[in-house]
Formats: sequence, structure tokens, C-alpha cells
Amino acid sequence: MERTFIARNPSILWFLLGLGLFTLVVTILSEATGNGAISTSFVKTLGKTLMLCLVAIAMDVVWGYCGILSLGHFAFFGIGGYAVGMWLMYARTKEIVVENLSNAVIPATEAEINGAIGVQIFGVVGSSEFPWIWAFADSLFLQLLAVVLVPGLLALVFGWLAFRSRVTGVYLSILTQAMTLALSLYLFQNDSGLRGNNGLSGLQNIPGIGDFNQAQISIGFFWASAFTLGAGYFLFAWVLDGKMGSVIKAIRDDESRVRFLGYHVESYKLFVFTLTAMVAGIAGALYYPQAGIINPAEIAPIASIYLAVWVAIGGRGRLYGAVLGAAFVSLLSSWFTGGGAPDINLGFYIIQWTDWWLVLLGLSFVIVTLFFPCGIGSLFDKLVRRQQ
Amino acid sequence: MIRLIFAVLLGMIAPSVVMAQDLQSLLQTHQEEVAKPGRRSVGVVLDDLVASGLTEAASFLENWQAREVYVRDEDGLFFYLNDDETQLIDITSGAPSGLADVGLTQVRPNGGVRRAIGTALVQFQLSDPDINRRRGAIEAIARDMQASQLEPLVASIEGEADPGLKVVKERLAGLMRASFGETNEIRIAAIEGMAGDLSVDVRAVLNQILATKRVVATELPDDQNIATVLEPGTDLPMEDAYDILVAADLAKPRTTQNQIKAALTGNIVEGRVGGMAIASLDTFEARAMAYEMLAAAGLVEPLVGDDEVQDAIAVHVIYDVYTEQDTEITEAAAASLDALQTRIAVHQTADLFLDGLSLASIYFLAAIGLAITFGVMGVINMAHGEFIMMGAYTGFVVQQFIPNYTVSIIVALPVAFAITFGAGVLMERTVIRRLYHRPLETLLATFGISIVLQQLAKNIFGTQARPLTSPAWLDGALVFNDIVAISYIRIAIFVLALIFLCLILFILKRTRLGLEVRAVTQNSRMAASMGINPNRINMLTFGLGSGIAGIAGVAIGLYAKVTSEMGADYIVQSFMTVVVGGVGNVWGTLAGAGMIGGLQKVIEWLNPSNTLAAQTYMILFIILFIQFRPKGIVALKGRAAGD
Repeated sequence: MERTFIARNPSILWFLLGLGLFTLVVTILSEATGNGAISTSFVKTLGKTLMLCLVAIAMDVVWGYCGILSLGHFAFFGIGGYAVGMWLMYARTKEIVVENLSNAVIPATEAEINGAIGVQIFGVVGSSEFPWIWAFADSLFLQLLAVVLVPGLLALVFGWLAFRSRVTGVYLSILTQAMTLALSLYLFQNDSGLRGNNGLSGLQNIPGIGDFNQAQISIGFFWASAFTLGAGYFLFAWVLDGKMGSVIKAIRDDESRVRFLGYHVESYKLFVFTLTAMVAGIAGALYYPQAGIINPAEIAPIASIYLAVWVAIGGRGRLYGAVLGAAFVSLLSSWFTGGGAPDINLGFYIIQWTDWWLVLLGLSFVIVTLFFPCGIGSLFDKLVRRQQ
Repeated sequence: MIRLIFAVLLGMIAPSVVMAQDLQSLLQTHQEEVAKPGRRSVGVVLDDLVASGLTEAASFLENWQAREVYVRDEDGLFFYLNDDETQLIDITSGAPSGLADVGLTQVRPNGGVRRAIGTALVQFQLSDPDINRRRGAIEAIARDMQASQLEPLVASIEGEADPGLKVVKERLAGLMRASFGETNEIRIAAIEGMAGDLSVDVRAVLNQILATKRVVATELPDDQNIATVLEPGTDLPMEDAYDILVAADLAKPRTTQNQIKAALTGNIVEGRVGGMAIASLDTFEARAMAYEMLAAAGLVEPLVGDDEVQDAIAVHVIYDVYTEQDTEITEAAAASLDALQTRIAVHQTADLFLDGLSLASIYFLAAIGLAITFGVMGVINMAHGEFIMMGAYTGFVVQQFIPNYTVSIIVALPVAFAITFGAGVLMERTVIRRLYHRPLETLLATFGISIVLQQLAKNIFGTQARPLTSPAWLDGALVFNDIVAISYIRIAIFVLALIFLCLILFILKRTRLGLEVRAVTQNSRMAASMGINPNRINMLTFGLGSGIAGIAGVAIGLYAKVTSEMGADYIVQSFMTVVVGGVGNVWGTLAGAGMIGGLQKVIEWLNPSNTLAAQTYMILFIILFIQFRPKGIVALKGRAAGD
């Protein structure tokens, strides 16, 4: 135990160094603070990717380290997005409404302003009343609290129910998937209070910050994302370090044996499940303002499965593996589906990647699972071992 | 002797009637009204035409309605034209009567007149020789019942040749008697006669008789058939009660916030209203105070205070009054309706049960393949839904080659089985075999396959839904009454589900293969030492489960749309069904499907507007259910339970 935490986990330094360098390069090349070689929309894409990396790390901790294949972490991600999106939409609409009403001869009352905001926000679902769920939408602080607390609480209750009755393995996966499905179906309803399948939009406009343009906002969010990712990486590395980390990994390898050794397995699992859900919520809260829109389709069960795909391709049981997987697959995916990849002409058939990318992804996923269970991350391990 | 007198009398009367009531001459007595018909004036003409009893009158009305009647300008006589509009046709005899080379004016009745003509026409059509026209006339009457139609309808019952139609006519006459019968006894008898009838139109008639109107007065009248007296504050909110008074001009309207605002805006003096600064008027209370100031200064009407509202309501009574005047009739109708409600509730429960049953059999069909691969073998196959989709697309492709729907379905079932069986075997050999000891990874790998299959289907068949048409004998529904009905397709799916249940039970319990499957799943190494080849058995079992998914796909495709994403809609539900029912047991899957299907229908019934909510609550219920019975409804015990 003479070595320090950092010395025991050299990957943290390397990761933070890489992240810092990356942030610096993007800052220099961005439109707002540099020479403009990287467009604002690409800065946003990079910022979003960083947040996907963070939720992938959370997924890696809960799956790769603790052995719980949760198919619900993207739902927590979405809840975080909704929580912050409610404030963004409310505050932004309020700004516009107050601006419009300021010309009236007689100043508007509180109720009139709220009524106008309600019509603006809920007009699309044929309502103008604020649902109870929006009770705290005018308070940034409370909504930010909700970003952490709502996913945390949901994970706590769900996890407590599930782990207590010893639901494990694939059953737990299916149960978490059911939870995700229930949540997305609920949000799809118009009377869920969150605008049904319209979702929340216009989130890229940040109210109350004066006249920063989108380029400046995007680089600001990029910095925030980079910082949060770094902090998240550090947090999880710290959690997984030492005795606690050993217990968590032991639960993955043989749950019964850990229980027989006297550890309260359920508490450890519940802790990991809840903590990762909270981090997923934070990641979502930073992701969706950069995406500009959130709707229930984002939360659908398939998104959570993709999350598992990223982690598997990146390499489970390594925090940097999750980052690599999420960044690699999501960037590659937007390159292929965005029409960036050149079509391949086979003579008798032209492979258009917008149509065939998913086939390629699915196949590579099968191959990775079958032949490279350690994913891309294992390449690094081999490199390090050779050096030693 | 009497007959002879009759004959003579008839001989004397008949010609004179015909002479007096020739169609053309009858119309000439109303020449103006026929040539230029108006909504008001047309009634007299129609009454006369109906009263005349002329057979040609019906065809004249039809032509009149269709704007095919022409007036000869020189003498004002009415004619039709032949098809190529060269010849005049006599309206009485239908024979050609001269060339259409003279001045003619088309008679163009407007919409209202044509509707009136249509009503009159119905009475002729009731006795038309063509059964379809008679049926049409009855439907027209049933759509819009009117007192005047009752008599011709009753008159036509006697001569009705078709027994089926006769029953319909009698029933309709009964319905109309309830509303339009001449005496109260007739009406009450008719109303009581409807008590056992569950049809929607019976309820419509009863509800129409029981229709009420909300009235406000200073005291209750004695001479009206009052339904209920409303107590303001309990039966209806005070605000609504006052609004009713206002609407009846019995009270002063309250000043709305907008009116207050407008009044304040209009009375701004040097930046102040009623002595208050404008900027301070950002609450309703402040505005009300400023308004009171203005009112005190006599500039605006004073506000209606709460006391005034209370007083106004206190001196009035608000009550619902039946539009039907007679108490006996409304009482009889209410009694009939009450009796109906109980019967309706019983039948609705029956209908709900049928709905639940059919949904359960769909879930069962979708999940039964999974019950084998997941339940018996323990393999998580996320591509199971895609096997269902493959089966449905197979059905679609087969229909492209075999146009006869019945034959194509019969061909499609085994073909779908063969294709998905092959796909399942292929998948087992290449992927699943390598992952038997890593179940979580099976989940991910099969998910990869499901993405591939979905995208391939999208690339091949496109994103739009493809039709899988069911044969004509599966169209329509088995209708017990207006409440209980079930479509034949759902019955077919139910039967198919039953067949599969028996088939799978048979295979697992009564065949050599089933014995070997059970041996391998219980203890693979022991089975191997007994000479069973576990690899072969696993392959066949997985193929069987997948093949059944393919057949389920054909069945599901018949009633749902076939898209590349249809499998994904069923996969979570199917896993739920198997898990809730209890893994490793076909009966469990049946129980799971029954519970999920039934409960979902019950929840939908409680909240009919929202199937999404029903699914949400259903899933929440399942999550909770698994907390209490983690091993499902039918839990395996002893060594078979595995762990």
C-alpha cells in the first residue's frame, strides 16, 4: 500500500493528459476561440461524444466491473436530459413571453405570464396547463438537483427491488429493459406532461447568459463536457480502486462466493447501480443541450443496448475501453450514416453505407463478441505488456 | 252475390280514380312548385304524390331528385329525356313522345328539397320489388327516424316477402313506436319490448326519449316532466350555476379579467388608474382595487361581488327537464335502460374476456418459440423477434407468387417454418454454440444478429409496411350482438395457438426427440454418456423454436402490418411472457401469456383512451410481480430447477 492512488492507476494520468490535449486542440481549431478549422456543429458533435463516453464509462462500471448487464442506463441518461431540458425550455419561453408582454400598457400578472408560457410549451399537445411534473421548472438549481436525484432514486428503488429478490444475470437484463420500455412508452403519451413524442426542443438556446453566439456556447459546453468526463473517469477509477473495487470485481466473477465470505452483495450492487445511474443522468444533462432536442425515441430500449455494444467493442473491464468504444463507434456511425463514407461499387450492386452500416455494425458486433471478448481496449493491454 | 256487387263497384270506381289522378295532371296542379321547387313549397307536392298511391310516382321522385326532369317551355308539361337526350319520354307511360328539339328547362331542386324528396321516396321504396332497395330504405329510415315514416313502414310489413327483412322491419317499427307511437300505451309497450335488446340503436332511442334540457326558473313548475333538480355547490359548481343564470338573462354577467384590463387601459389618467400607478398593476388584486376605484368614481360598472352571486343563485332553481312530456314514458324508458345497463355490463365482461383471450393467444404464439429456446435451453435469443419478422415476410413473398390467398397461406406456413428453422440451425451452429457458458454475451451477439436481420429486411423490402392479405373466409367477425364480437382472424390465431400448445407438449413429452431434449437440458454430460449427441439435440431444439417463431410470424402478419421492425415490437413482451410464466415450462408460458394478455385488456378497459398507458402499467406490474415470484407463475421445483 506504499504506492499512491495515481501510481496504482497510471491510466488516469494518461487519460487526463489525452483529454486535456484533445480539449486544447479543439479549442485552438474551433470557431469561437481559434482559427475556425472545426465547425460549430462538429464541436457540438465532439462534445456530445464526450458525454456518450461518460455514460459508456458508467455502463462499463456496472457491467464490466460489477457484472450487471443493465439495459436501462440510457434511460437514466435521458431522464437527466429531460430534467435540464425542462428548465431550459421553461426559462427560454419565459424570456420570450416576458419580452412580448413588456409592451402592454398594463403590466402582466404572474398568472398571465405563466398562462402564456403554458400555451407556448404545451400547445403542441393540445393543452396549456402546467403538469405537476413541471412544478420546479423555474428553478435551475432544483432541476439540476433532479438531474442527479431522479435517476438516482429510480435506480435505487428499482435496484433495491431487483437485487433484494436475487434477480440476476439475463433476468435482470430483461427486467431493466422492461423498465426502459415502460419509461419510453410513458413519455410517448401526450398526457405524460413532457410533450409526448414531440419531446423538448430548442434546448441549444441557453437563457439568461446575454449575447453569446452558438459558437461560443458550443465551446463552453465542450469544455464542461471534457471536465465532467475527466471528473467522472477519476471518480470511477477511485471507486474501483482498493478494497471496494476488489469486492465489486469479485461479485462479477462469483457472486455466491463473495456472499459466503460475509459481504453484503446487494448493498455493493445497489451502490454501483445507483452511482452509475446518477453519472448517466449528469452525462445526459450535458448531452441534450448540445443536441438541442430530446424525445422519447432517444430512451427506447435499443439505445441502451447500443450502449452495451459500445462498451463491448471498446473492451469491458477497462474504463478507457468504454471511452474508446463509445467514441469510436459513435463517431464512425455518424460518419457512415451521415453519408461521409464513399459508396462501394461491386459492379452488380452499389453498397450505400447509409443502408449497410447497421449490417456492418451488427456483424462486427457478433465477431467482437465471439472472437475478441476484450474489445479494442485489449490492444492497449498487449502494447503495455510488450513494453514491460 | 257480394262478390258481384264488389266487382261492379270496383269497375265503377277504378276508372274514375285513374282518370282523376293521372301523374302528369296531378303534377300540373302544382306546376309552379314542381318546376321551381323550394324547401317550403315542396311539402304539398310530396304529400299529394304519396297520397295518390301512383306507382309511377316513385320513379318520378327518383328522377326529380336526380335532376333528370325537364319542363317543356311551351305548355309546362314534364318529361324525361332518353340516354342520348334526343327524345322526350312521357313520365306516366315511359314511352317516347316526340323529339327533344323544343325549348326545355331542367328542373333543379336544391339540396334541401332533394333531401325532402328522399324522405318521401323511402315510403315507396319500402315496398319496392327489389330487396336491395327495400333494405336501403330501411337503413335510411333507421339513420334518421321521423314520425311520418312509421305508418308506411308498418303498412309495408304485411306484404314483405323476405322473412329476414320482415324481422328487421318489425324491429325498426318497434323502435319507432317507442318514440312516435300514438298513445302512451303503445309507446310504453314498445319501450318495454326493447328491454332485452343490446343493440346500439335501442340505446340511442331510449337515450333520445330521456334527453334532458337544463332550465333555470324562480320556482319549480308543476306541469313539466322534471328529471333532476340540481343543487348548486354540490351537483354543479357555483360558477357554472351563475353562468347558467347569466345565459338565461337572469343575472348580470361578471366582469372578466380581460374586461377589467380593458377598462383600466381606457381610464389611464397621467400614468395612473384610479389613483394607482400603472406599474403596480401586475397582480389581479391590485387590478381589482384600481377597478373598484374607477367604479366608485362612477366611470365603470361595479364588479359583481360574491354575495351578489350567492343571492342570485339562492332565489333561483336550476333543474333538468325531459323533452318528453309524459312521466310514464320517461319512467318506462329509464327502467328499460337500467335493465339494459346490467345486461350490457355482463356482455362487456364477456367481450373483454374474448379480447383478452385473443391478445393472450397472440402473445402465446409470439412467445412459444422463445419458451423453447429460452425457457428450455436457456439461450437468450434477441433475434427471436426477427425470426417472427422473417416468417411474416416469407408469407408476403409467397403471396407474390401464389395469388390465391387460401393456398398461399397454407403454403406459407411450412415454408416459413423451413426458412426460420434453417436460420435458427445456422445461428446455433455458428454463434450460439460458442457462447453456451456466457449467457450475457449470447444476448449481445444475438442482438447484433437482430440488427443485421432488421437492416437486411429494410434493404430488401423497403421501410413501408407490406400487406399480408388474409383469405376472404377470414374476413369479418363473429358477431354475437352489438357488444360481443370477435374477428375470425383472431379466432384463427387462437386455434393456431392451441394447436401449437398441443404440438409442443406432444413433442416434448411423447417423442424420442422430446425425451432427449429434456435429458440434454437437465444434464448435458450425463445425457452424452447415455449416447445422446447434445450438439445435435441443441441444434434441433433451437431450430424448432425458431421455426415456430416463423409460423407465428405468418399468423401475426395476417392481422398486424409487416415491417422490418415488427419483431422488435414483440421481443420484450415475449421475454416477459416467458419470465412471468416460469422458465422451462410450456404451461408456464401459457399462464404468462394469459395473465399478460388479460391484464393488458383490463387496464385498457379501465383507461380506454390510452393503450400506451396500458402497456406502461402492464410492464410496471410485471416488474413488481417478478419481485414476488422471481421464478414465475409455474416455477420448476427440485433438480429440474437447475440451480
